[in-house]
Amino acid sequence: MATVPKIEVGADYKEKYGFFVPEEYVFKAKRGLNPDIVTEISWMKQEPEWMAKMRLRSLEIFRKKPMPKWGADLSVIDFENIFYYLKASDKQSKTWEELPPDIKATYDRLGVPEAERKFLAGVSAQYESEVVYHSLQESLTKKGVIFTDTDSALRDHPELFKEYFGTVIPPADNKFAALNTAVWSGGSFIYVPKGVHVEIPLQAYFRINAENMGQFERTLIICDEGSFVHYIEGCTAPIYTTDSLHSAVVEIIVKKNARCRYTTIQNWSTNVFNLVTKRAMAYADATMEWVDGNLGSQITMKYPSVYLMEPGAKGDVLSVAFAGKGQHQDAGGKMIHVAPNTTSTITSKSISKAGGRTSYRGHIKIYPGANNCKSFVKCDALLLDDESRSDTYPYNDVDAENVTLGHEATVSKVSDEQLFYLMSRGIPRAEAETMIVNGFIEPFTKELPLEYAVELNRLIQLEMEGSVG
Amino acid sequence: MALTAETLDQLQGEPGWLRERRQNALAAYETLQLPSKTDEEWRRTDVSRFNAAEYSKLEHLDGLKLERPSGLPAGVILKPLREAAKDHPDLVEPRLFSLVHADRDRFAALHAAFFTGGTFLYVPDGVEFDQPVLGQHFSHAGGNSVLPHTLIVAGRGARFNYLDEYIAEDDTEAGYRSGSTEIFVGEGSQVGYVAVQKWGRNVWHFADQRAELQKDSNLRLFNVTLGGKFSKTRVEASLAGEGSNAELKAIYFASGEQFFDFHTLQDHRVGNTRSDLLFKGALQDVARTVYAGLIKIEKHAARSDAYQANRNLVLSDKAKATSIPMLEIDNNDVRCTHGATVGPVDPEHLFYLRSRGIPETTAKRMLIQGFFGDVLDRIPFEHARKLVEAELEARIG
Repeated sequence: MATVPKIEVGADYKEKYGFFVPEEYVFKAKRGLNPDIVTEISWMKQEPEWMAKMRLRSLEIFRKKPMPKWGADLSVIDFENIFYYLKASDKQSKTWEELPPDIKATYDRLGVPEAERKFLAGVSAQYESEVVYHSLQESLTKKGVIFTDTDSALRDHPELFKEYFGTVIPPADNKFAALNTAVWSGGSFIYVPKGVHVEIPLQAYFRINAENMGQFERTLIICDEGSFVHYIEGCTAPIYTTDSLHSAVVEIIVKKNARCRYTTIQNWSTNVFNLVTKRAMAYADATMEWVDGNLGSQITMKYPSVYLMEPGAKGDVLSVAFAGKGQHQDAGGKMIHVAPNTTSTITSKSISKAGGRTSYRGHIKIYPGANNCKSFVKCDALLLDDESRSDTYPYNDVDAENVTLGHEATVSKVSDEQLFYLMSRGIPRAEAETMIVNGFIEPFTKELPLEYAVELNRLIQLEMEGSVG
Repeated sequence: MALTAETLDQLQGEPGWLRERRQNALAAYETLQLPSKTDEEWRRTDVSRFNAAEYSKLEHLDGLKLERPSGLPAGVILKPLREAAKDHPDLVEPRLFSLVHADRDRFAALHAAFFTGGTFLYVPDGVEFDQPVLGQHFSHAGGNSVLPHTLIVAGRGARFNYLDEYIAEDDTEAGYRSGSTEIFVGEGSQVGYVAVQKWGRNVWHFADQRAELQKDSNLRLFNVTLGGKFSKTRVEASLAGEGSNAELKAIYFASGEQFFDFHTLQDHRVGNTRSDLLFKGALQDVARTVYAGLIKIEKHAARSDAYQANRNLVLSDKAKATSIPMLEIDNNDVRCTHGATVGPVDPEHLFYLRSRGIPETTAKRMLIQGFFGDVLDRIPFEHARKLVEAELEARIG
């Protein structure tokens, strides 16, 4: 494993998952943000003119919008000191063997090929800003399912792309959505045709690997009527000494009777600012499920949302946050009931330790006329020591008739009774605590595919090592 | 005409320190901005149409009727606040507006500058009495400002009950009303406090009720909000001594075009403290309510136990309740639970009663009574409980 001198690896991340591959970039844009760089990104990608214009317009919006005054402290982000576009390799690889060796080395550490061999339909592993490795099972192609990186989708499916891109999250939605629209690169594009059920989860692995490099992937998923897809997004990144910014946008359209599940395991290194906008539109009798785990990053601000657009739509957010030393996980969910007879649930589990801070921030909005809606929010927080902090900020706005809305939250520590019970059976304290924490997030892990559940339990175990309850 | 320094001249015969304090509050009022829609606390609360200048006539002093419990123990001081400021500056000066800060916002400043009437109650160490103190604040006419302020000081081990009743003679009067209360709950004391707000249906009402609890003390605070076209009430307890226990309960019944806003704070500043909050309200017609509450557990407040719940019963299709229960927890050795519900009468409950031959309107009334039942039981003393039950009965109809 090659390393670069003068890299300070913080915390104990290095021993656990930190590894590093020297940079060999075909193209590296200059630091900073201005119309020239945005134009250059678009030119490099040989994009159609409408996209170039949209990027420039979004840059204007980004500049005009103020930084959000709520949530975590973002004032330390220096937008002028970030690379907005990198391309690690010129050509896209079709098979694992064709991948450049140093990229392969990185993925070996992450175990991507094993995961693929086991069950995955396709891997679209993102190294730097472009998808370099991509495989899709033949059966999916036969069914008409498109699963590709977003840049290729713009090239190969321009009409489908233009019809949906930016419709769920317009550039003016928030400052970071505008930034992403201006400089986006990579991400996944999925189209599932009418009535098609994709039985095997689709997965992409994202990585950040250059100092001061922002990653702005853009994901667009379209589930046509009566279809089903489960998409898995997982992230892990090596550590660097200066702050990195990750600001993705995920747009999902779930049409009539369709169901989409989007699973995230976010484990950025603890110097990353993770500011993500995720939103889905669910139409008649459609179901949208966000399964969202936030373990890494220095600051995460992420509130997956579902707009329930037509009667019978259902939205679900299941969220887990783990905040260790120096981390602030500001996560939650939003349910926007636009149509009557729609239902939603948000379940949030958070764990804070060693001075970490978790905040649940949620919004339930029920518009006038969206009668007979039901919404339920449950937040549980576990504080592992007296340095840590947990907050709950639920916002509920009901403007419709005959609405049932419930919110519940608890904050507690690892209970002495549970600990005593386990220890009286000869289980060492540290192990007992890990078991209790794993039990606490069980509603989340049981929704994950087996490999991820195992990985998550292992991560929790690593995080819990040496912690005192 | 407006509420200005000249208005202060209506208030003669006050000690210099109080005059100075009013002037400072007025200065704060003039510099503070009207809260804007971007301010989280006021995002759902529209005060843009409130114009204090319309109500520049102060109604004062005679608006208060104090009922002295018979056989009040020696040493207890019970008198109008402005009189107490003159007679007992040593007790009043250090405490007045030390919990309810005059510069918190424009409305707190306005109240602090122009408050009139109101009560001062001082119960010395170890003094207990059963019969509640009753403070009645009347407004006789519309178009004016009625701004009473209550200051309660409980000495060590004192035990007593107090009721503030805000009464309009004319239910249709328009005006500017407030009713703020500061309660100093001394070590080991037990205080029951009930505030019943029945101002006219066209007034603007702003109130700050704030208590500070010392070691091993116990406060049972009960707020009843019924009047006003606009009512904003902040109920806050600061648990400053170990072993203290604050029970904060409220009921509200909003109908017509009434708008009620509640803001609560359970501030656990030290460990081994307990707070229990339950706000229950029913909404009719096109009424709107906003509840926003915060449990705050500070860094060293270990072994604290806090509960916070807001339940809203929405009786009409057009009524709207917003509920925002919040937590900020900075210590792990705690137990905090909160919950909020907004919903109509449970159709299954209604069906059950109707299947037993009870007419729909009766069944609904029974369910509303049942909804308030458990919280009515927590009113700390009999006199207030009877009063509140009667008021509710009249409204449920």
